[in-house]
Parts: sequence; C-alpha cells; structure tokens
Amino acid sequence: MITLRGLTKRYGDTLAVDGLTLDIEAGRVTGFLGPNGAGKSTTMRMILGLDHPTGGTALIDGRPYAALRHPVREVGALLDAKALHPARSARGHLTAQARSNGIAVSRVDEVLELVGLMSVARKRAGEFSLGMYQRLGVAGALLGDPGVLVFDEPVNGLDPDGVRWVRELVRSLAAEGRTLFLSSHLMSEMQLTADQLVVVGRGKLLADTAMPEFLAGSSPTAVRVGVPNAEDRRALAGQLVRNGAEVEPGGGTELVVRGRTAGEVGDAAHALGVRLHELRTVSASLEQAYMELTAESVEYGAGAAA
Amino acid sequence: MRSATRVAVAPEGGGLPGAVAAEWTKLWTVRAAYLCLVAGVALMGVFTFYYGSIARINGHPVQPVGNAPVAAAVLVQFAVGVLAMTSVTAEYATTSVRATLLWVPVRHRVQLAKALVTGAVAFLAGVLLGVLGTVVAWVSFEGRATFDGATVGGQVLLLGVYLGLVAVLTVGMSFALRAPAGVLTVLFLLLYGVPTLLEGLGGEVLLTVNDHLPLAAGTHSMLGDEAPYPRPVGLLIVTGWAAVAHLAGREVLRRRDA
Repeated sequence: MITLRGLTKRYGDTLAVDGLTLDIEAGRVTGFLGPNGAGKSTTMRMILGLDHPTGGTALIDGRPYAALRHPVREVGALLDAKALHPARSARGHLTAQARSNGIAVSRVDEVLELVGLMSVARKRAGEFSLGMYQRLGVAGALLGDPGVLVFDEPVNGLDPDGVRWVRELVRSLAAEGRTLFLSSHLMSEMQLTADQLVVVGRGKLLADTAMPEFLAGSSPTAVRVGVPNAEDRRALAGQLVRNGAEVEPGGGTELVVRGRTAGEVGDAAHALGVRLHELRTVSASLEQAYMELTAESVEYGAGAAA
Repeated sequence: MRSATRVAVAPEGGGLPGAVAAEWTKLWTVRAAYLCLVAGVALMGVFTFYYGSIARINGHPVQPVGNAPVAAAVLVQFAVGVLAMTSVTAEYATTSVRATLLWVPVRHRVQLAKALVTGAVAFLAGVLLGVLGTVVAWVSFEGRATFDGATVGGQVLLLGVYLGLVAVLTVGMSFALRAPAGVLTVLFLLLYGVPTLLEGLGGEVLLTVNDHLPLAAGTHSMLGDEAPYPRPVGLLIVTGWAAVAHLAGREVLRRRDA
C-alpha cells in the first residue's frame, strides 16, 4: 500500500504537486491519469525517493522509500525505461541491480526469460528498440518479486502484443495481492486495466474513485438512433421528450437519447410507425469521462489559441 | 499477506555491501574502466622509459629506481581520475543514476560505494603500475639507479595509496559537479595546471601553497622527502583534499533531486 499525505512539490513559483492525499491499496490496479504537466511523474518520483517533497509524505507500507532495506524487493519501479547505460548489456544491468539488493543472480535469467529478452541478454542496451527497453524495465521491476509496483507509462512504445502482455501481467500481479500503481495516456488501455482511478490536474487531486463510478459519474450511457426521414425524426424526438427523455441531435440522421434504454426507444419508434436504420447503446468511455473532468486543467491545450 | 512471507525468506544482502557489489559489477560491464587502465599502463610504460633514459643520457646522479614510477604519477593520476569520474558522470549523462538511486536509495551510500570501488581499483592499479614502472625504468636507467627492496616497496605502495585517494577525490568532485567537462577542468587545474603555474612562478609563498596541493604533497610523501614536512603529513594533506571533495559531493547529492 502506498500512502500520500499532503504531498507537495514546488519548483520556484510553480506548484507541480499540490497537497495530494490518497491511499493506493493492495490487490487492485490503480490508474494514474492527468494531462501533461499535471504532476504525475513528479508524484511517482517522490514516492520513489528520487525527488524531495517540498511538503507532506509519501510512504510505502508505512515507510519512506529511502528507509527500505531492500527497496528492489519491496517496490518494483519502471519510470524512464531508457534510464540505463547504453553500453551495458541487459544482463549486466540486471546483475548489478540484483547484487545491490542481495537477490540471487540466477533470478536475472528468470526475469529475462519472463519478458522475452533472453536472446538479447548480452546485447548492448543502446541497440534496443523502445519496446525492448520497456520489457527490460519491466524485468527490472519484477526482479525482486516486490509487493508494490509503480509503472510510469509502461506500454509506451510497445506493439499490440506487448500492450496486451503488460495488461495481463498487471492484472495477474494485482490478483496476487500486490499494489499496482500505473500511469498511462492510453485511455482505452487504462479502461481495460485499472480498477481504481486517480486523476490529477495542475498538481491537484481531481478524482479518486472506482472505475465504474468514475464512468457513471461523468457520462451517462446514451442511445443513438438513426432515423432517415426528417419528419419521423421530429415525431420520435417529440414523443421521447414528452415521456421525459433527454434528446439531442446526433449529427446527420441520428438522435442521441439519454434516460431511456435502446429497447424503450425501439418500442416508441414502433408505436409511431417510424422507420429506423440504426439503434445502439453507447457506453460511457473513460476517454470521454476523463476529458470532461480535466477540460479545466489542461496546461497546454489546443483550443484557446487564435 | 504476501509481504509477511517475503520478509521471512529474504532478510539479508543489500546495504553498503550490496551497493559495493553493484558498483563493482557496473564498473566491469562497460568498457570505460578497461580503457582507463590500458591508458594507465601506456602512460606508465612510456614515462618511466623516458625518465630512465633521460637520467642516463644527461648523467643525473644515481637515484632510487622507484623515483621513476613516482614521477609518472603526474600523468597516471588522470587515468584513474577519468575512471572514477566516468563511474559518476556517465550515470548523470545517461540518467541511469535514477536506476542506481532506486536500487540504493540512501544517497551517501551510493557515493561511498563508488569511492570504495574506484578507490580500491585505483590502489591496486597504482601498485601494479608501480611495479611495471620500476621494471621499465630499471632497464632504461642502465645502472644509474639503486634498487632497495624496502624503498621501492614503500614507494610503490604509496603510489597506490595516492592514486586511490585521487579516485576518492574525483568521485566526490563528480557528484558535486555532475558534468564531465566541469570535472575534467577542475581536476586538471587542481592536479596539474595550478601546480605547474606555481612552480613556474616560484617564490617561497607560491611554493608553500603548492606543497599543500595534492600532487606535490603526494609526491613529497612518495619520494620520501623529509622537507617541507615529514612523510605522513604529505599523505594526510592528500587525504584532506579527498575528504573535502567527498563531503562536497555528499552535500550536493543529498540536497538535489535526482
């Protein structure tokens, strides 16, 4: 479990992280979201003792990272996968890491096998592709079989196979009772992976909720209905509104209906004798919910210019 | 709970011994250290060959053969200096220092481990290079040198200690400055530029100042001079410089974000 209490980081006049207080629980995957510059990486670096907080605390199982006797055995971290010496081999890198924490060197080949880098174990890391760097980073995080894992953008640069591999790995690690804390910009991926969501914007906590509530809270499910005839469209919309539904034009021949199921919309159309071309339920997507929540706090948005 | 079982099976390793083992592994898994040692061998071989030849050709008075490798310290110190420097600055340049600090989050322990590992390697290198230099010089002196086992042994051992301290000093300086250009500049000025300038200008004050810089202090001690201060004092002065640089590096490392 990771505990943040009033965690704050100030760079000059800028508050990069502003009084974050939250618990990242064991046994589930906590997704960490926020626009660029929201303070995600700074928060992770403070959890891992690389950056000193200006205020507040970040504790891992009740202790600061620097107080852990065998940090690699307790916390697996993947921050910047390219943060290694390009002339050192994958095996050399992991061997040094193992020795630093009294981990048997035989474990190095185990994790290299696990991430599929055994065939390039002797190759200089500088010749790796981004995807191979990520796999080596995951190998390093798993080396000490830790109970807490902190991943910053773990699927960055991975091919679809690799993305699925990380997703399944992360899910299985959480199922074993470990604490998983990961950031990603890929909303669809996060929706498939995370149980709990922590969203920050401009260094402040915007949300800390379970995935289903997060989705339900921001963007209710809607029904899209395609009505080719304009008069029919007006008639159906009028009928639905009279029955208390929310209806708005969906572009082209479509209507977007909220507050009614697809079945109810279909029945209403049938009763009016209205011909339909399409009728489908649109579930709330994490992307949409996230966009609504963070619209206010995007630091480098594209909208305002010109 | 998983954590309970994990703690039960794995209580050892890590700490300073773990940090030292990791630094040792890192040192020998890239080419830099080997190149520095090869450079050290070349510098020592060439320098002592010429030292002996010039003494013979110019008819210098007979001297202990160990003076040749001691005089080569002025060059060889940069081979171990660069070795010690790259163990720090290469990590900042590649940002792999973050990995290092994740493995060993007690920052001063990282510096201590690097100082111990490069210091020990520099000491051993110094002793072996001292032996090499003695052999080469003995050949090129062609009889214009004396060989006394105890004298040579002491000089070779002190050469190792001097180079070990140079490595410790450089590690501290590298943590304080982080960029290789800065470290090389300061190292060059401290261990060569300023001493050469002071000796060139001469005069009592400047020479006294020079006697308190690492190179002159180390050289006095290695040559067995009894003036301007007894032999151990020279070694203490070098140790003082290494300690100051170490503390400076420690302070910067403690304060700054990685």
